[in-house]
Amino acid sequence: MEAGVSGGEGEKAEFEPSEITYVSYGGEHHLPLIMSLVDQELSEPYSIFTYRYFVYLWPQLSFLAFHKEKCVGTVVCKMGEHRSTFRGYIAMLVVIKPYRGRGIATELVSRPIRVMQESGCDEVTLEAEVTNKGALALYGRLGFIRAKRLFRYYLNGVDAFRLKLLFPQPHIHHTLLQAAQEAPTQRSSSDTTKESH
Amino acid sequence: MAAAATAAEVSIPLGSGDNSMWADVSLLLEDACSGLRDGELIHGDNFDLYAAMSALEIMDPKMDSGMIGKYFSVDEAIECGAAPIPISFDKTVDVQCSIDIMDHLLACEATWHRGHSLAQTVFSCIYILRPERTTRHALLHSYCRTTRATCKAVISVVSDARTHEEEDLFTMTYGLNLNGEDEKCLSILNAVEETISRKLRACRTSSSGIKSLEDIEPLQNNPALEDGYCRAILERLRFRKHFYHILMCLKRPHGRGMQLARKHIASCIVELKAISRPLRQQTIIKDRITSPGCQPIGFDSSLNTRLSASTPPRSINILSWNETIEYFLKLLQDLDIISSCSLDNSLEGILSFIVQFQKCQPDLVARAHLQCLLLQDRKLFGRDTIFSVIAKAAGLSEVAKNNEIENLECIVQLGQLVMNLLRILCTNSAWQRRKLGKILQDWRVIYMQLELAIRNKLGEDCVHTNENIYINSLKQILLWVEEQAYWIASRFLTLGFELELYSSNEYGMVYWYIYVVSVKLAEKMHHRMTINNRVKCRGKKKKVSGNDVPRDFQFPPAVLFLQSHICLAEGLAMMLAALKNEKTALEGRTPFNTDQERFSQLFELLQKAGFPDHISYQSFEGSTRNVTFSTLAMYNHFKDAQRIAKEVKSSFSGERERLSELRMIEQVAEHNSIAMTLLCRVGGSLDPSLNLSFEFSHHPHFATAVVRRSL
Repeated sequence: MEAGVSGGEGEKAEFEPSEITYVSYGGEHHLPLIMSLVDQELSEPYSIFTYRYFVYLWPQLSFLAFHKEKCVGTVVCKMGEHRSTFRGYIAMLVVIKPYRGRGIATELVSRPIRVMQESGCDEVTLEAEVTNKGALALYGRLGFIRAKRLFRYYLNGVDAFRLKLLFPQPHIHHTLLQAAQEAPTQRSSSDTTKESH
Repeated sequence: MAAAATAAEVSIPLGSGDNSMWADVSLLLEDACSGLRDGELIHGDNFDLYAAMSALEIMDPKMDSGMIGKYFSVDEAIECGAAPIPISFDKTVDVQCSIDIMDHLLACEATWHRGHSLAQTVFSCIYILRPERTTRHALLHSYCRTTRATCKAVISVVSDARTHEEEDLFTMTYGLNLNGEDEKCLSILNAVEETISRKLRACRTSSSGIKSLEDIEPLQNNPALEDGYCRAILERLRFRKHFYHILMCLKRPHGRGMQLARKHIASCIVELKAISRPLRQQTIIKDRITSPGCQPIGFDSSLNTRLSASTPPRSINILSWNETIEYFLKLLQDLDIISSCSLDNSLEGILSFIVQFQKCQPDLVARAHLQCLLLQDRKLFGRDTIFSVIAKAAGLSEVAKNNEIENLECIVQLGQLVMNLLRILCTNSAWQRRKLGKILQDWRVIYMQLELAIRNKLGEDCVHTNENIYINSLKQILLWVEEQAYWIASRFLTLGFELELYSSNEYGMVYWYIYVVSVKLAEKMHHRMTINNRVKCRGKKKKVSGNDVPRDFQFPPAVLFLQSHICLAEGLAMMLAALKNEKTALEGRTPFNTDQERFSQLFELLQKAGFPDHISYQSFEGSTRNVTFSTLAMYNHFKDAQRIAKEVKSSFSGERERLSELRMIEQVAEHNSIAMTLLCRVGGSLDPSLNLSFEFSHHPHFATAVVRRSL
C-alpha cells in the first residue's frame, strides 16, 4: 500500500525527539485520528471498512505518534499465513509534513516490526513506489531488500518495489529440531486470514 | 431490525431494453439504516471484515459506475447528438473536425498501447463504436475501419505472445466488437486516398492558372486552405495504410515479410513526421485536442464504464500530441530493429539480439511482435525445429543430429525450456527477471535427467560406434545446458541493476556473485568450444590449417570477452569488501537482521537451483572477510580488465555491440583503477572532505567509483 514519509517542504515543526510519544492502537477513539491522517497525506482513498479490517483484527500492529496532544503520525499493519510463510504486511505509514525527516517514521514502523518478529513472523513485506526515495531509504536502513519490481503497479503507470525483510532464523541444534517436530507447534497470531498479494 | 416494509414492484423503462423487473426498496433501506448505530457493522458468514473492504457506496460517483457519465448508453449519446454525421454542414469545419477526430484517435491508440484499457481509449470514440453510421462520411469511415482493423491485428499478436499481470489488460475487449475487420478496409482507404489526391491535384492546377479538364469538387470551401487540408488528410490516411501494411507483413510466416515491412516502416515514419508538423495557415495548437474542455467531437470515455469492472475505472489521461508522436516513432523504430533481425542467426546470436534489443526498452506491442517472429508453430522463425537449433548450439556433428536423441523425453523437455526461455526474454524486464530466476530450477532438473540418461546408456553392455556418438552427443548437450543455465543466472543478476533492485550496500555481495557465476560461465563456454573444435576436426577429412583451431593455451575471443567482465566484477567485489571491512562494527548495522539474511534473499533462486553449487553466505564471507586495501594494493583487477578488453578488441572488428561493450569496460576499469590506487594510498579512509559513491556513468551494471568533494 502506501508510505507518506518524504518531501515535507515548507514549515517545519520545532520539537525534541523526546517530546514524541508512541502509542499502541487503543480503540475506536483512535480510528478517526488514523483515518484523517491517512486521508490527508496519502493518495489512495480508503473506505472506513478498510481501516476497520486492519485495526480490529490486528490492534497490536497499529501505532500512533503524538506531539503533545496532536497526532502527527500513524502506522497500520497486519500479519498472517501467506503460502507457507507467516508474514507481516505494512499497509500504511504516514507522518504529517511538518514532522518529517526527524526519525518519527522509523520509530513508528519499528514497533510493529518488533511485534511481528516476536509473534513468529518469518518476514515482513510492503510495496512502495519506485519514486518514493524517502520510503526506500527508510526501509533500506531497517534491512529490507527490494525483492521484486512490479511493472506499472500503480494506476498512474508508476512501477513499485515489493520490499521484504527476512528475520534471522534461529540456528537450532538438530536434536532440538527433532524434538520440536514431534511436539505440536503454535503460532501466536490472532488471525490467519488468507489472501494473495 | 424493524420488519421490512414490502417492496412495491415498479417497472422502470431502461435504455438497454432488457426484461428485468425492478422493485422499489427505499423504505427497506431506511429501516436498515435506522437499525444500525454509528460504528456498527453487519457481520455474516459471507461478509467478514476482509470482504467489507470491497464494499461499494451506492451513488458515490467514485465507486458506483452508474453515477458517472452523461449518457446511459451509446445510443442515448447518439440520440443527443454526441457524434453527428456529417460533423458539420460547413465543409471546412467538417474537415477540420475530422482531422481533430483522427488525431485524437491516434492519441487514444497510443494511450491504449501504453497500458490503458481499450474501453477508455480507442473505444471511447462513438464513430469507432458504430462504424455503420459513418458510411456516408467516406473519410471518417475509412479511417475508423482501418483503425479497427489495426487494433484487431495488434490484439491478435499480443494475444499470441506471452503477457501477464498489467499487460493482460491490453487484450481485453470487454465484449466490444471488432469482428468483420480485415484487409478490405485498405481498399476503402485507397479509394478515399485517390479521391483526395485528385482534389489536391485539382487545387494545385487551378492555383497555377491551368484550367483542369475534370470538374472536381473541392474538399472544402476555403480555396486558400484547400492545399493544406488535402495534404493533412493524405498524410494521415497514408500513415494508417502503411501501419496496417507493417502489421500484415510482420504476420507473414517464416519472416518472409520482413524486408517489405522495413519499406513500409520507412514510409510510415515519413508520414508520421509530416503529421507532427503543425498545419500551416491554421491557428490551432496541437495540444488543444487534449486540453481540458476541448474534447473533439464524438468522444466520451465514460460510455463503456458498465462494461468494465463494477467500480468505475479511474479517469485516465490520454497522451498529449507530442507524447503520441514520440510513442509511434519509437514503436516504428523498434519494429524496424525487429525486421532487421537476421534469419540465419545461431541461437547464441538470437539471444544476443534480444538482449541488445531490450536495452532500448521496447513496449509491449514491439516485444510481442519479436516473440511471434522468433517462435511460430513451435519452431524458430517457423522454420527450424527446436532440436536442430539446440543441436547446432551444442556443436553436434551432422551424423549425431540424425541419431534418435531427438525423441528422448529429456531432450523434448529441453526443447520446451528453450522455447520458454525465448518467450521470457521478450517480456518486460521486471517480470522477465522473476521468471528467469524461477526457470533455473527447471534447467537443473533437465541437467540431472541428461546425466541420468548418459549414465544409463553407459551402463548398457554393448557400446557400438553409434552408441558412442549417442553418448558423446548427450554429453555435448549436457555441457551446453550447463553453460546456458549460467547464462540465465548471469542475466538474472545483471538485470537487477537495470531494475534498480540493489541498494548500494548490497553491491559488494552482488558483484561477488556475478564474479562466481561468470567464472563458471566462462569455464563451461571454453570447455564447449574446445570439444566442438575437436569434433569438427574429427569430422573433417582434410587437415585443418593452424588458424582455424585455437591452440590449447590460447583462449577463444568470446572467453576473453567474458574474462574482462570477470576481472571487473572481482575488482568491484574486493574494493567494496575492503571498504566495508574498514568500517567499524556498528556502522551499517541494521536493527532486525544481518547481511546473511539479505544474501539469502537476493540469491535464493540461484542457490535453490544450485548454479553454482556449494555457494553460500559463508563462502562469500570467507572470500571477503580479510580483504583490506593493503592486500588489494598487491593486485589490481581493474588493470587486468583494461588490458584484456584492449587486447580482445581486434578479434571483434565489425561487431558494433561487442566493441561498444569493450569500450565501456575499459572506461570503468580505468576509472576504478585510479580510485583503487587512491584508496590504497590512504588505507581506505578518505579525507572527511571527500565523498565516495558508486555510479553507473560508464556501464549499465558495472559501477564506477567516484570521489567528490563533500558539499
